[in-house]
Amino acid sequence: MRKAMFVLLAFSLLFVLSACTSGTAGDSTEPSGDNNDSTSPKKDSLVVAYEADAATLMANIDVNYVTDAQIRNIYDPLIDRDGETGDFVPVLAESWENVDELTWKVRLKEGIKFHNGADFNAEAAKYSIDFILDDANQSFYRSRWVDVEEVKVISPTEIEIITSKPFPSLIQRIAEDLLLIEPGYVEEVGLDEAAKKPVGTGAYKFVEWSRDNYLKLEAFDEYWQGNPRIKSLEFRYIPEFSARLSAFLSGEVDLFKNIPVDSVDSITNDGNSRVTEVASSRINYLALNNFYDGPLQDEKVRQAINHAVDVDELLKAVLNGHGTKMTGPLSQINNEYTETANYSYDVEKAKELLKEAGYEPESLTLTLDTPNGRYPMDTQIAQAIASQLQRIGITVNVQTNEWGNHLEKIRNREMKDMFILGWGPAFDAQSTIENLFTEVAPYSGFYDEELENEIYRVNQLFDKQERFDGFAELQHKLVEKAAWVPLWQQSDLYAVRKDLGFTPRVDEKIQAFEMSWE
Amino acid sequence: MLDFIIKRLLQVILVVFLALTAVFFLIRLSGDPTALFLPPDAPREQIEEYRELLGFNRPMHEQYTDFMANAVQGDFGQSLRSQEDALQLVIDRLPATFQLAITALILSLVIAIPLGVLSAYKRNSIFDRIGVGITVLGQAVPNFWLGLILIFFFAAQLKILPTGGGGTWVHLILPTITLATYSIARFTRFTRSSMLDILRKDYIRTAKASGVPTIPLVSRYALKNSLIPIITLVALDLGTLLGGAVITEVVFAWPGIGRLLMQSLMNRDFPIVLAAVFIIALIYAIINFIADILYAYVNPQIRVK
Repeated sequence: MRKAMFVLLAFSLLFVLSACTSGTAGDSTEPSGDNNDSTSPKKDSLVVAYEADAATLMANIDVNYVTDAQIRNIYDPLIDRDGETGDFVPVLAESWENVDELTWKVRLKEGIKFHNGADFNAEAAKYSIDFILDDANQSFYRSRWVDVEEVKVISPTEIEIITSKPFPSLIQRIAEDLLLIEPGYVEEVGLDEAAKKPVGTGAYKFVEWSRDNYLKLEAFDEYWQGNPRIKSLEFRYIPEFSARLSAFLSGEVDLFKNIPVDSVDSITNDGNSRVTEVASSRINYLALNNFYDGPLQDEKVRQAINHAVDVDELLKAVLNGHGTKMTGPLSQINNEYTETANYSYDVEKAKELLKEAGYEPESLTLTLDTPNGRYPMDTQIAQAIASQLQRIGITVNVQTNEWGNHLEKIRNREMKDMFILGWGPAFDAQSTIENLFTEVAPYSGFYDEELENEIYRVNQLFDKQERFDGFAELQHKLVEKAAWVPLWQQSDLYAVRKDLGFTPRVDEKIQAFEMSWE
Repeated sequence: MLDFIIKRLLQVILVVFLALTAVFFLIRLSGDPTALFLPPDAPREQIEEYRELLGFNRPMHEQYTDFMANAVQGDFGQSLRSQEDALQLVIDRLPATFQLAITALILSLVIAIPLGVLSAYKRNSIFDRIGVGITVLGQAVPNFWLGLILIFFFAAQLKILPTGGGGTWVHLILPTITLATYSIARFTRFTRSSMLDILRKDYIRTAKASGVPTIPLVSRYALKNSLIPIITLVALDLGTLLGGAVITEVVFAWPGIGRLLMQSLMNRDFPIVLAAVFIIALIYAIINFIADILYAYVNPQIRVK
């Protein structure tokens, strides 16, 4: 009797709600069926879902990729990376050169206008860099720019950037951090207002921003690179993955990033959708912490662990193949990448090395810290690594941390033997190697005095070949010393509407200007 | 009565003050947020510089007294991430939260009270069984799960409702049902048992015996009296709906306070967390204050006590 009542109730609820047809449901829902009607005019709008809102729409403040990826449709950079190769390409800059080790000259394009009609010129470029440097603006990028001493306007189309010490990676900083702001507009309306209603030179103009809800942009018809094919662009914020997936499958959303590897099938099985994948510049690794007073300070133990972790198995079994294996400190995206030796999966060798180091595997108990949900399948990876090490007799206790706590434990050097971490975007050797393998940097848990001196020496090199050779040597040495267990380059997985022309970029940017409906 | 109101008002201030103090110290147990805002390659001296800039290097009691001194003037500081006024960011989210909470409350009352009354009056009948069924189901089903199932069914499969977001009344339907389910269950159960108590009273039996027809008997004599304890429950639930709809707001991407609070906690954006806690505690305390006054108004014994 009671069961029958439940069924009756469920049906009546369904009936009441079914009465709300899409006709009465207002124009905000767009069932996907409408989109596929061949007689309707060609679609020219795009909805992209993100897990969180942008922190601010002001350029050059927040380092979070969610903010950056959205506002790059409004603002242009001076220099960008090529979406496929990661090489530097000029955008608002015409060209750049080193005058000497402390001076960079950047020539700018002419005839480009901001959305409010103001001209883009050297003053705007100077203002944008000064904006990062001015601590009143509390830009979280400033820490990367402190070596910039001054920006000089040479002519309306030329600036000089003077640094206090040689800064070979300045071009990388310009490409990754700097977006161009319209000084007149910020001064006229004030920073608060400009951060809510941004003006840039980008392909899209601001329309409306409803916090935690959506950001609407429209094509800037006078865009200097041509008329955008996607006319209206909306970013929608859906924090919960299952809801994001449902929004995609229902046709409300056309594109979103970061599909968990175990949900790929639910998208590929949908007739209107596809999954597209790119090996990103983000790398994941198992840090072997030799700041901590434990067995991992011994090089042989670290080598043994490298032999005992089967990365191919992890990739296949846990990540369903979505990742690109790494063998050294740098991924193949880096221009300075060099092929290094590979620690093959070899259980016997691992046991032997442990014995040589004076350890019985069974007597070893190690701690492995992992964040939960920060990287693809991170907790599951940690558990799989623990069971692989168990095969040679090592007991591993897996400790799962909330992301903020995980990062803080690393920064405060409170980590024990091992931890899982990712790094990225990791395009150039300097920022990766210097920030991971020196004493001041706690992120790999590895530091060696001799290697550190070498790292600082190579960093200062300007000659391309010398620099390449220097980094190649460093990569070999880091592998030899088993500084960490390199895992893989993360795969960026995107859910995409089948007829959307979209190629994922290695730098995880979503540039609607590059897209179109087929 | 005036004494009573003043006393209760002082209690409101005390509650808000204590909530803020507790949360101030508790969130600081989660550590220093500076590192989360800077790029991972920021050198140590830069982190130190930012800690100083944001004031996290000062002794805890100093940070606390500064915070309180500013908070009483309505200044909760700026969001660490976006550098906007924290209180304003929270206030901007209030209308969305109110809209959802009030709709959910109305839906709960409209369903729960008639159902509770019917269950009690027709005890052990089919209505009673429906009522009890809803009560059990509504309290047993987790919000999170129910929300996702509704999205999957009505948005992804049938495509008749949006998956989430705010804006039009259509966006309200699924989150309202999700949020109201638990309250419907609570209100129904409470109305039923309160009604059962009243229906056993002598005066109801007398009224019945003297020939008062069913509808006036239930609505005028029984329901009116059984509603008094429900006022308290509604007040408590409204407070919870206004401040605690975190899960529903996250699942349905509803741009309200609960979601802002959740995000700010994950980002360690302390000023927003504190501003949100202030607003939620204030709403909760004020609603209870109003309920107390109403209660005292209907029942003079309470004033005397």
